[in-house]
Amino acid sequence: MSDFLDKVPELKNDFIERLKKAKTPEELQSIRVGFLGKKGKVTQLLKSIGGLPETMRPEAGQRLNVLRREMEALLEERKTSLEAETFLKKERQEKIDVTLPSRGRPWGGCHPVEQVTHEAVEIFASLGFTVAFGPEMENDYYNFEALNIPPHHPARDMQDTFYVENGLLLRTHTSPVEVRALRRWGAPIRIIVPGKVYRRDNDPTHSPMFHQLEGLLVDENVSVAELKGCLEAFVGRIFGRTLDVRYRASYFPFTEPSLEMDVECVACGGENQDCRICKGTGWLEIAGSGMSHPNVLVAGGVDPSKYNGFAWGMGLDRIAMLKYGLDDLRIFFEGDLPFLTGGGQSLR
Amino acid sequence: MKMSLNWLREFVETDLEPESLARRLTETGTEVEGMEKPCSRFSGAVSARIEKLEIHPKRKDLYVAEIDTGTGRAVCVSAASNLELHSCVPYGPPGSVLADGTKIGKREFDGIKSEGMMLSAEEIGLPDVADEFGILKLDPGTPPGMDIRKLLGLDDLVFDLSITPNRGDLLSIRGLAVEVAGIVPGSRLLQTKETFPSVGDWLGDFEGVRLEDPDCSLYVLGYADSVSIRPSPVSSRVRLCLSGMRPVSNIVDATNLVMLSTGQPLHAFDADLLPGKEITVRSARDGETIVTLDGKERSLTAEDLLITSGGVPIALAGVMGGLHTEINESTRVILIESANFDSIRVSRTSRRLSLPSEASYRYARIVDPQKAKPAVCEIFGLLSSWKAARPLGMVVEGSEGEKFPKTVPLEKKTLEKILLTDDQEMASRILKRLGFEEATVLKSRRVYRVPSYRPDVSIEEDLVEEVARVWGYDKIPSRLPLGTREPGDRTDRIRCKEALRGVAMARGYVEVVTYSFISPEMLDKMGVVGADPRARALPLANPISRDQSVMRTLLAPGLLKAVESNLRSGWRGPIRLFEMGAVFLEDPATELGVKENLCIGGVACPGRDYPSPWGKEAVDDFFSVKGDVEALAASRGLDVRMVSHEEPFGHAGQTAAILLEGDAIGYLCRIKPSLQEKLSIPEPVYLFEIDMEPFIKGEPARFGEPFRFPAVFRDISLLVEKEIPSEAVAWDIRKEAAETLSELRLFDVYEGEGIPAGKRSLAFSLAYRSAERTLRDDEVDEAHERLRENLSRKGYILR
Repeated sequence: MSDFLDKVPELKNDFIERLKKAKTPEELQSIRVGFLGKKGKVTQLLKSIGGLPETMRPEAGQRLNVLRREMEALLEERKTSLEAETFLKKERQEKIDVTLPSRGRPWGGCHPVEQVTHEAVEIFASLGFTVAFGPEMENDYYNFEALNIPPHHPARDMQDTFYVENGLLLRTHTSPVEVRALRRWGAPIRIIVPGKVYRRDNDPTHSPMFHQLEGLLVDENVSVAELKGCLEAFVGRIFGRTLDVRYRASYFPFTEPSLEMDVECVACGGENQDCRICKGTGWLEIAGSGMSHPNVLVAGGVDPSKYNGFAWGMGLDRIAMLKYGLDDLRIFFEGDLPFLTGGGQSLR
Repeated sequence: MKMSLNWLREFVETDLEPESLARRLTETGTEVEGMEKPCSRFSGAVSARIEKLEIHPKRKDLYVAEIDTGTGRAVCVSAASNLELHSCVPYGPPGSVLADGTKIGKREFDGIKSEGMMLSAEEIGLPDVADEFGILKLDPGTPPGMDIRKLLGLDDLVFDLSITPNRGDLLSIRGLAVEVAGIVPGSRLLQTKETFPSVGDWLGDFEGVRLEDPDCSLYVLGYADSVSIRPSPVSSRVRLCLSGMRPVSNIVDATNLVMLSTGQPLHAFDADLLPGKEITVRSARDGETIVTLDGKERSLTAEDLLITSGGVPIALAGVMGGLHTEINESTRVILIESANFDSIRVSRTSRRLSLPSEASYRYARIVDPQKAKPAVCEIFGLLSSWKAARPLGMVVEGSEGEKFPKTVPLEKKTLEKILLTDDQEMASRILKRLGFEEATVLKSRRVYRVPSYRPDVSIEEDLVEEVARVWGYDKIPSRLPLGTREPGDRTDRIRCKEALRGVAMARGYVEVVTYSFISPEMLDKMGVVGADPRARALPLANPISRDQSVMRTLLAPGLLKAVESNLRSGWRGPIRLFEMGAVFLEDPATELGVKENLCIGGVACPGRDYPSPWGKEAVDDFFSVKGDVEALAASRGLDVRMVSHEEPFGHAGQTAAILLEGDAIGYLCRIKPSLQEKLSIPEPVYLFEIDMEPFIKGEPARFGEPFRFPAVFRDISLLVEKEIPSEAVAWDIRKEAAETLSELRLFDVYEGEGIPAGKRSLAFSLAYRSAERTLRDDEVDEAHERLRENLSRKGYILR
């Protein structure tokens, strides 16, 4: 009997040794056959239990079955790890250089003025303003006369106008849309007008084409306080922080009173006498504004004894320059890729 | 407008520091754009008198002067040829500094030591002050040893003011003094005494002034004889220079100084050169001419207002005097015009003739008629004190108007509504300081008399502005508007732009904004000529350059130019650009006769010499760009198709029209190789442009049914004429196939070996699927076989 049972650890050790040496599924299979197959060593041993005395048979059977299950488990385990090794080996052969450049197209880019326009529209829409549009090629009436700028008014000198040979002109500001919108929708009204405007000007801070955002609110009992509120809310959002502002009296024929809003210099905060952005003044002009002149409301078909309101105009290009720290406006309109993609690194 | 602080202080007393004054002016509406200390580096010079003058013993080109410097004698060597014994000159002793920063020292000239130097106007920093070449001569009798900065009035501060067009009254020192007194609490206007009493009788045989045009409401004419033309006193010349004007001669300088002081333009005629015995103000006759002071002959129209004498034009009213009656060296008798002309009339003439002048600038901004007489008095005083002329009298034709020509009410409730204050007293105090007078005081409203120098104030809102700008906008709170009537709407147009921008950027396009005006040559280069409506680009009447002289009728020129310039400036690698913007086309059916079409355009080009590890896979071609166009449309819920098409700039074999429900809304093309060559672009360029109008509204996103049952797949391969579009073949397949054909996909296009010339093989994969049940193979086989038979019957060769 002990002879018989002594064979169990022997068999087991032999099995484990062979298992260790096995490198392929085929070798595993031959081990299985050699031990657990019909003529396998464990099977043979099981068959020989019948030759043992009756009292010893149960224990011998149990021990052999345990051995058999252990072997099955070890075989399975070895098989799984062999398979994993095979896959792994294959994967290693398929190794790539993950630092190679990506294929396909890189992310494109958004023009800085369009980016700022988008943000401005979002901000004012949240304040209840609806976007309105008007033609870029305008007539004299909407660009000047309806805005209380009759012919030969010296205010026309403030804006050097491009005229078109057909008698029209390129709008010098987005303000013509104020009157167009009032005529179309009447009061009360809250609109913003982002768009291109044109003046005969060309230097690093002036381009013959640039972008403005007009705002107009007409309602009953409107005060300067709401004008200030709207402009300050905008400035805080677009620059992402609260900035000091100041108001200066100014003159625009289509507003009365007229005021200009300055914000603290976004570059130096008024701390740098030699600041290139604010030229050492500490302030930046952001928006011309004022209470709508009664003549403008009348031109828009609105009764100024019932309604009043305010309007503003701001340069979107200038806001983009300040927000993104840019100093040459003319490059905005040259389609220059290094400029538009931040140096071109992102394009491959 | 340049404002000398010293000059201002002759009229108004204020304790405010210059910086604070500048801030106050700026916040109340007169922006101070700069403040400059004149000739700031120039220092240390004093006045001196030449006591002895000899030619240098060894150098004939040099003079040796012994001068009295106030504290002793000094020897100066100079090359200037205008030196005279006993004349007074500026002297820079060793250690003093010239305007350009040069420090003066001692220097020896062939054995004679020069202790410092006598100075020219240029060395002081005011070249225009010189009346002759050489050393600047000070007024005779100037005591030696005086500080030159002080003597010349350089101990000043010059403000550069931006005067808004409504405030013509601020184009004068006296006007600014009134303003400063109004805006600076505690300041006081100084009463200046009438500098010349009303003068006596009219002399000579002059017959007077006739006003024949209502646009001249007032004409004051001063008369002076014993004129002696000289340079004006040095300090006056300096003052003119600091004010931005050039000294000419005492008479002309006096007219300019008084204009700067009062705001009233003056003009002096040489009375002896007057063609007639009278002065008449009338409209010009069409075709009449005048030679103006600048020597140019001007052709006139009835729009222009003229000053004439004996029927001959002698001045363009309010714009410029005539050459023939100009003050000259032999002038003995002068007439001084101080008139009031209509602002529109003057500005029209000045504009039409492109002849801006200090006078027309002021007239265009309205001159106070009350200033005409005092201005003549002031110039008389000046001429007398300079001993430049003997004032004799003046004639006044027309009306000076009222001191307070109109009244404007200010309601308490208006103050409350706009400025959120009910403090009428405060408002009243401010207005009175600015020169307004209270006419009526009621509980609910006050009425104010408006002074003649404030023609810009005519309605209640104008008074509100006067109050607000002085009171201060910072006193008004900030608050958001209440009572929104409806939510703000970004509108479909903005949403469309944003959706398209998102797609374009995600597909690798960079947004550009190019000028709306383009070069007409670019349209020629592109072959957009002749009957093509896009060839009729609207020209600007006053373009900046020929390159930007016509309005774009399509986006392509700007996009192509951007590609070209990127390559020229050294960009390598792929270029993908897009732009959204208006193009301008003539259209008589619209309100303005011009249709502005909002378009989206894009351009893609592989760039220059830029291999990639991915080879051709990464290179844009017609079909990659077609995918971009389809994606743009899809982002708005739309399907577009392409059909073969022609564009003057498009490759004859690679140009498509973009169709939306059968209508062409744009094009996609590879540009003509010849155009590519003209633009020096090394690789093919793909270009598209689409009218955005149908995209703006778009269609809502669509969703479909999920696949509930598996599909059965079959392939079909057809041999077709090369000219037949694959899409037409696909349509035929769909038409001939059973209802159960669910998806159809072209998976191979082949021509070449084994395919007859002029033909190609198109291979499609078909998925048969039912929404109700799983199809059986035999059903599909039967359906597919029927399709093959149908196609065969239609003439297709099945492979």
